[in-house]
Order: sequence, then structure tokens, then C-alpha cells
Amino acid sequence: MTMFNRKGLRLGNRDLPFQLVLIAFGIVTFFPLVLVVITSFKSNTQFYHNFWLPELPLHTGNYTSAFRIIWRYIVNSVLYSGSTICLIAIIASVAGYVFARFRFPFKTVLFLGFITLIMVPGVLTLAPRFVLVRDLGMVNTPFALISVWVSGGLVLSTWLMRSYFESLPQELFDAAYVDGAAEWQVFVYVSAPLARPMIATVAMTTLIGTWNDLIWPLVTITDKDKMPLAMGLMQFSSDFETDWGTLFAGYVISSIPLLCVFAVAMRQFISGLTSGSIKA
Amino acid sequence: MFKRLAADRSSSITLRKRESPFHLRVWRAKWLYLALLVPVALLLIFEWLPAFSALYNSLYIWNGGKVHFYVGLEHYERMLSDRTFRVAIANLVGFVFFRVIMQTVLPFFAAEMIINLRSERWGYWWKIIFVFPMVVPTILNYLIWRFIYNPQVGLLNEGLELIGLGEYTHAWLGDPNTVMWALAFVRFPWLPTLQFLIILGGLQTIPQEVHESAAIDGAGFWRRLFYIDIPMTRRQITLAMILTMLFMTQRFDLFLVMTDGGPGYSSMVPALQLYQSAFHFLEFGYASAIGVVLFVAMLALTVINLRVSAGATSE
Repeated sequence: MTMFNRKGLRLGNRDLPFQLVLIAFGIVTFFPLVLVVITSFKSNTQFYHNFWLPELPLHTGNYTSAFRIIWRYIVNSVLYSGSTICLIAIIASVAGYVFARFRFPFKTVLFLGFITLIMVPGVLTLAPRFVLVRDLGMVNTPFALISVWVSGGLVLSTWLMRSYFESLPQELFDAAYVDGAAEWQVFVYVSAPLARPMIATVAMTTLIGTWNDLIWPLVTITDKDKMPLAMGLMQFSSDFETDWGTLFAGYVISSIPLLCVFAVAMRQFISGLTSGSIKA
Repeated sequence: MFKRLAADRSSSITLRKRESPFHLRVWRAKWLYLALLVPVALLLIFEWLPAFSALYNSLYIWNGGKVHFYVGLEHYERMLSDRTFRVAIANLVGFVFFRVIMQTVLPFFAAEMIINLRSERWGYWWKIIFVFPMVVPTILNYLIWRFIYNPQVGLLNEGLELIGLGEYTHAWLGDPNTVMWALAFVRFPWLPTLQFLIILGGLQTIPQEVHESAAIDGAGFWRRLFYIDIPMTRRQITLAMILTMLFMTQRFDLFLVMTDGGPGYSSMVPALQLYQSAFHFLEFGYASAIGVVLFVAMLALTVINLRVSAGATSE
């Protein structure tokens, strides 16, 4: 480093003005969230009487009654998003591996068949896709969600996996071949474990996308007990429209799953988020 | 070992038989085709088929079922004279224009503050803090802002009462004059996560030495901002803007949840009109035509996006 290292140039506390601006920014960012949490512990009388401040007694009963409704939606979402993620992870890594490591007839055509779909926005295909799924008899079943989420997610995921496998050095595979590994063994024991960071990224992109998808469940799912979380919350908010405490308790509960994922795998969460920029 | 399928990149130990006849090469790749069978089938059925169906059915009157007859370009002509569609386009243009500015300036401002910090640890934590609202499900953003704009017990009106501006309280979403502004400010102090991460990433790749030599030359905060930071993150800023445009053009869940296009048609956007045409009025042909128009509009943006994002997001 140069002679002007971090300590050397320090004059007083230069950070202070920037810190103050950031703190102000942080406060306005978290203010609505804090108010939601505060209100979630209030009864309606307390809420109308005292809008801003927390008030005793805390009505933890709001959480029990909200949880009784919300848990179903969370479980559904975990199942739907979970199976979508597993399927995409498997299919995209196999397809990405094939596209990255082999030369075979029609390869270019097939690969173009994947990546040109990046240019097709979901809004174009929404209506005809609904008719298709309806005619296949999948309306109001989890298959309507999973099949479409998997195929939609495959476009970007396959591309990401292919780029990753292409970046692995050839020597690695040669070493495995020399040791007498069959092609599938190379994939299962060498390539797939090495691709774990990219698989995590793909999983996060898929999780964020499916967890927040509202429109597709809205047109394909009708039963309350089959709704995923995003749609369930819409239902919940109209069922408890004026019961503010319970409503906001439900909001807090439904933010917990992604919060846990964020806390456990922050880095993958962020990389999954940024890789979504390719297909927006 | 040498019978193995030739790997894509030539290596010392894989032999490639270039001259083998075509059908033999196809036959030898049979396992590869098998491996690609599932994804190719899925994409054909659930992506390619609906995409072509949209192009094709935009020329038909179609209720999604038996009623299906050819009308040529009638839907496109109808769009030209459709008042709702015209309002929707005007709304979208204004909305996108405003959001692009807001969702570029706001994250840039926050990112600029962060990289001005000497303490890298604090910089890291501020990044986490501003990304945090991402864990709130998207729909909750809308529901929370619906509460903020609530005419009776909304945060905004209560806040105005609190600071003595009670006469300005308003049914923000219920008035055609304020509804688009209210929608434009949904999620307002929260940073758009993706755009923020991209711009922050760009600012953080500016070498320390550049800032140091600028400081030696006596450049203050503003000079550095306009002569170094903005020019050097041009690609990231462009990418953030294009992404906002792409998101805003096709996503209509915001409008659906907050106002459903109302009051009247005053907060209608084309994508929401597409949704309503198909699922409320069973006009799948017209919906497809709107989809085609949006697709064409977004195509150019997507091509630019792919160009820019190839360089701007460093992973």
C-alpha cells in the first residue's frame, strides 16, 4: 500500500457526517417495519387510541390467531418452492454440464432454444400458458405452480450452471478419467460437488422468485388450503381487514422464513439476488 | 478410456473423431440427448408453446375455449382507439420515468455514503441493513403501503395530523389525482435491492488509489462525485435503470394489489389491462395482442440489458 493508508489520512472523525446521513436513512427504512411489529401486539382499541407507541398489555394472542391461519400458507410455500428448487438444481446442473462439456450435433440449436427464452417476458405468455395448464387439467393442483416455475427457472439456471462448468479446468476432469471414472461418476463425484456455490446461487434465485410470485398462483389456485404464502397473504389481508393486531402479527410471522434464510446464508442470498438481473 | 465422448475443449487424452458420419455422431450422443430430454420438453411445453400461442392468438378472437376465429390485426387496431389502453400507456410512461429516476438516485446516494466511510466494517453492515427489507415478501410491501395510505388509520395521514398538517390528509389511493403519485412512492425509503447492490458493487470497484490521488489534488466530495464516481459507474447506473424499466413494464402485482387499476381507470397499466382482459373478460386474443406489444417494447431493453449486465455485474 501507499504511505496514505487508512489511518494516515485520518483527520478527526471524517466518517461522522456520512454516518449521520446513513443513520437517518436507516431510521426511515425501518420505521414502517417497527410500527408493524408494535401494532401486532395491540388490540384494536389500543391501536385506535394510541397509534404510534407500544402499549401494555401486549396482546400476544394476535400471534396465536394469525399463526392458526398463516402456517398453512407457509407450509404450502415451503413445499412448492422447495420442490421447485430441488428439480431446478438437478435438471439445470445436468443440462448445464452437458452444454458445457460436450460437443454433439444440434448442440447450438438446443442451447439457443434455452437462452433465447431470456428475452421472452412472463407477461407475454401469461394468458396462453393459463389456457394450456387448464387444458392439461392442472388447475388448482401444485403441479400448475411447480411445472411452470421449474421451466421458467431453468432458462437462467441452465445458463448459470453452464458458465460455471465451463470455468472449471480441464485437468480436473482428465484426472478423474485417468482414475477410470465413468462420465456419470465424474458428474456426480467431481463436478456437482464443485458446483455447490453456483447451485446455492441458483437455489436462492429460485427461492426469491417463487416465494414472491403472486400472479401465477392467483390464476391457477382457487382452494384456500392450497394457496402459497404470497397469495394466502392477500386472502388473509381481506379476511382480517380491520383486525389490525392479528393482521400485522400475520405479516410478521410470514416474514420469518426468508429472514431465517437470510440470516443463515447471507452471501448466497445476495449472489442469488444479483444473478436475477440477467433475466429481469 | 478413449472411447469416451469427446470433451468440448480438446485435451491431451481425449481423442476427437472429426470425420465420423452424422448419424453416427447423433447415435453416439444418445445419452446426452436423454439427459436433455426433460428440460427441453419442459421448455417446449411451458415456454415455447405459450409464446407462439400468444403471437398466433393475438390475431384471433378467443375466449380461451371454443370461441376462436380469425380477425387479423383487429386487436392491434382496437388498441389504437382503446381509451383505457391509452390511459394505461400514459400511466406506464410517467410511472416508469419517475421510478427510474427514484430507483437510481436513491441507491446511488446510499451507496455513495457507504463508500465514503473509512470503516469497512460499518460499510458492510450498512449494506446488510439496506438489503434487509428484501426478506419481507413482495406482497407485504404492497400491503404495508396500503396501510400507510389508508384514509382512516393510515400512517401517512396520522403522521400529517401529528405534525399539525391535518388539513392535508387525503384518500391517497382513492383520488384519481393522487393515485399514481401514491403508487410511485410505494416502498419509497426502502432501497431497490438489486439496483442498490449493483451500484454499490460498481462504486466499490473504483480503486482506492483513484480516490486518494483525487484527495491529494484537492478534490472535495462534490468534485469527486461528479468527476470520478458517476463517470466510473456509468455501466452500473445504466444497468440499474434498464432493470427498473424492465421490472416496471411487466410487473403489475403492485397495481393489482393496491388499486386494481382504479379508481376508474386512473391507475391502469398495460400489463394489468392484459390480466383483466384475459381473466375478467375472457378476451384471450386481445390479452395476447397486448402481450405482444409489451414484448416488442421490452425486447430492445432486454438486448441492451444483456450487453450491459455482461460487464457490470462482476460475480
